Amino acid sequence: MAASIGAVVYRALHSRRHRKLLSVGRGLFSGARCLVAEGETHFGFQKVSETEKGEKVYHVFESVAKKYDIMNDSMTLGIHRLWKDILLHQMNPYPGTQLLDVAGGTGDIAFRFINYVRSQWEHQIKQKLKSHQNLSWEEISKSYQEEELKLPGGSQVVVCDINKEMLKVGKQKAQHLGYSEGLSWVVGNAEELPFNDNKFDVYTIAFGIRNVTHIDQALQEAYRVLKPGGRFLCLEFSQVNNPLISRLYDLYSFQVIPVLGEIIAGDWKSYQYLVESIRCFPAQDEFKGMVEDAGFLKVEYRNLSSGIVAIHSGFKL
Amino acid sequence: MYPECLISGARRWLSRTMRGRYVSAAAAANSPFPGAAPRRFSDRQKDQEQPKAFDPALLEFLVCPLSKKPLRYEASTNELINKELGIAYPIIDGIPNMIPQAARMIDRKAQDEEPKQT
Repeated sequence: MAASIGAVVYRALHSRRHRKLLSVGRGLFSGARCLVAEGETHFGFQKVSETEKGEKVYHVFESVAKKYDIMNDSMTLGIHRLWKDILLHQMNPYPGTQLLDVAGGTGDIAFRFINYVRSQWEHQIKQKLKSHQNLSWEEISKSYQEEELKLPGGSQVVVCDINKEMLKVGKQKAQHLGYSEGLSWVVGNAEELPFNDNKFDVYTIAFGIRNVTHIDQALQEAYRVLKPGGRFLCLEFSQVNNPLISRLYDLYSFQVIPVLGEIIAGDWKSYQYLVESIRCFPAQDEFKGMVEDAGFLKVEYRNLSSGIVAIHSGFKL
Repeated sequence: MYPECLISGARRWLSRTMRGRYVSAAAAANSPFPGAAPRRFSDRQKDQEQPKAFDPALLEFLVCPLSKKPLRYEASTNELINKELGIAYPIIDGIPNMIPQAARMIDRKAQDEEPKQT
């Protein structure tokens, strides 16, 4: 049985015509390391019980919290900033949007949201100024005041993360960069959100959902807290579709990233977990199915960097 | 699309720093803009106070993760209390901890305190 499967895969790997089989074959190999029994889940390539996974993930992020941003920049060579910018562009929030950023830890998405909403507001004001030629000093000063005291239109962002350390780092960053209004920090579990139903316009989870023990519960909670018409956005590492890039990516992930983790953050194991957890996360279409199962409609995904990262989007209608 | 982000980000940074300089200079020279107060000093004060204080505006959004019922903010113990279930969630450094496991420990303390009061 194993021999015949092996033969099929060998033929697939060496045949130019059967490119699809090639990716399935590769998927089988890495997927095989991620198969688990009932009540168990995967922590990278290790098999652990579901309760253990939560604790282990907590310890991983507790230890990397202070160096998280530096590591992100060095591992992705700064490209993670572009990915997050693209996520915000896809979100295209207008002033007045209520955003819930889950697993938002150090606040990257929240700060980008605030900048985006502010620049939209500035743009709107400029449009207004162009049309009204005669503005009194009072009106001009009022527009400056509004900008500085609170977020335009009553926009709000709540950053929720299960890890206190990550939120502490995020809060310090916020103070350092001067973000104070319209931004709140809450320690909470994505599987059991401390928010009421139908509260938020947008729910984002960036590079967090693969660390959640019960992804389906997190998706159901996302559905619950969103307002009707609300949007679910998930930015996550996914499966690469190009075979050459996939090989380079695997090489980089398993040879370079843990070494960087050891040099910069002094933590080889956490970054080994990181690259393994990426391999064990479902592929784009499978995750799309999970999002649809939670009740979201018009679920789409968009690959970035040939599938290294994918943005999944769904609506609660 | 991406260069736009970088350019607009740079423009925003420039305008923020330029405005800051203008505002502090204007404040010194009795500015004609009554609304633009010396922003930096007051913001720094607010930043120093914020780590300890809890923003009551969050109460609008927060509920107990277990029962989804609204919470009461107790200023004396700096906790969020769910009276129905008799649990309290701690607030550390202005960040409320809404993990049920973190709350149960305080539950025993609350139950111990109640018979003393009655």
